[in-house]
Amino acid sequence: MYQLIFSELKNGFDGVRKEFTSIPFAPDNTDYQQFVRDIKNGVELKDAEGNQMTPEQITTFLETLP
Amino acid sequence: MATYGTVNAENITSSTGGVISPNITSLRNRIINGAGTISQYNGSTATTNTAGSYYFMDRWLVYDGSGGSHFSVGQNKGGVTPPTGFTNYIGINVTSAVSASASNNFSLQQQIEGFNIADLAWGTASAKTVTLSFWVYSSLTGTFGGSLRDNGADYFYPFSFSIPVANTWTQISITITGATGGTWLTNNGRGIGVLFDLGLGSSFQGTGGAWTTNSYYTVTGATPLVGTNGANYYITGVQLEVGAQATSFDYRPYTTELALCSRYAKVYGGYQFAATGYIAHNSSTTAYVVFPTGAPMRATPTLTCPSPTSVSIPGGYNVSSFGSVYADTAGAIGTAVTLAAGTVGEGIALYTNATTITLSAEL
Repeated sequence: MYQLIFSELKNGFDGVRKEFTSIPFAPDNTDYQQFVRDIKNGVELKDAEGNQMTPEQITTFLETLP
Repeated sequence: MATYGTVNAENITSSTGGVISPNITSLRNRIINGAGTISQYNGSTATTNTAGSYYFMDRWLVYDGSGGSHFSVGQNKGGVTPPTGFTNYIGINVTSAVSASASNNFSLQQQIEGFNIADLAWGTASAKTVTLSFWVYSSLTGTFGGSLRDNGADYFYPFSFSIPVANTWTQISITITGATGGTWLTNNGRGIGVLFDLGLGSSFQGTGGAWTTNSYYTVTGATPLVGTNGANYYITGVQLEVGAQATSFDYRPYTTELALCSRYAKVYGGYQFAATGYIAHNSSTTAYVVFPTGAPMRATPTLTCPSPTSVSIPGGYNVSSFGSVYADTAGAIGTAVTLAAGTVGEGIALYTNATTITLSAEL
């Protein structure tokens, strides 16, 4: 399960949290690459407030990723 | 009278009237931490692996494709005497034996960054021959396996070697013709994947000693270490170098080896100051801190802290959670921090207490 991290510096989402880790939206980061694979495979994603995102919301969100 | 001339050779192992070291480069060994000298993640404490890729020593991971917890791993795990000239090794012990299914993958791996193999010209007709050498020790005997592969895992060189005597260090050297096929990254991505088989299923086994597009991560008939409870596998002096023969291990200064490792991971912990920064002027519970990293990491790292609330800010505050991680090209790594309480505009320092903060940009 991943949860989005809201960045006040960038005024948007620029990372996700999974258990004890903060994973940046950086294409060269292998954890980020795994996150993208996991989400495409149906792993749960929550927004910054902890609300479960719908498949439609996730699909739309994936299009915004680097 | 001195005689001067031009020498056209890949390796010079001796000369008359002069001292010439073989294959002199600043990175003769493309493997980093090949002697297990650096162990930022866990020091000399053995840990149990998790599922998938589990980095337990700098640059070294065990891969467990069957749920994790099959190995106890660590620097000098098992406490045997390393080969002469070495003080450390990479240690693996099977704590929960399993019979690998056809598609299981249990292995020890190091992913070499593309920048560090760019001169090999792999994927071209000019591909250079390399030699992989290492010392290995196991409680099991027989044929063992491993492989080199490209980033996309679509071009493999499976190799085999023999451990003839149990619980004895054996030196291995394997010469590998340069790969004229495959896709070999020459940037900050995965250049060469070096793998040692700890129990790969039959789907990943094939004939060794030649490049193939088949997914042969190891050789047919290799001994499956993970199948024997209590079995051990220790390795050190791992070296991958240009040329058709193994040369002596490329000892690098400790600070150099640590700096090379720090491109991929930095660990702050054990009652240390980890970062300095300030509490935001517009929020008493949001702070920004910068870690001292020294040099740019390979990529913007993942931050891991098993117990954020254990991280304190001397003076009265504690961390609640860590937010986004930032990196710039000059090397600074910063992160947002959420505090339970604070005072706007104050300068702060993070103190780890008993927990750790790890920045990882491993491959």
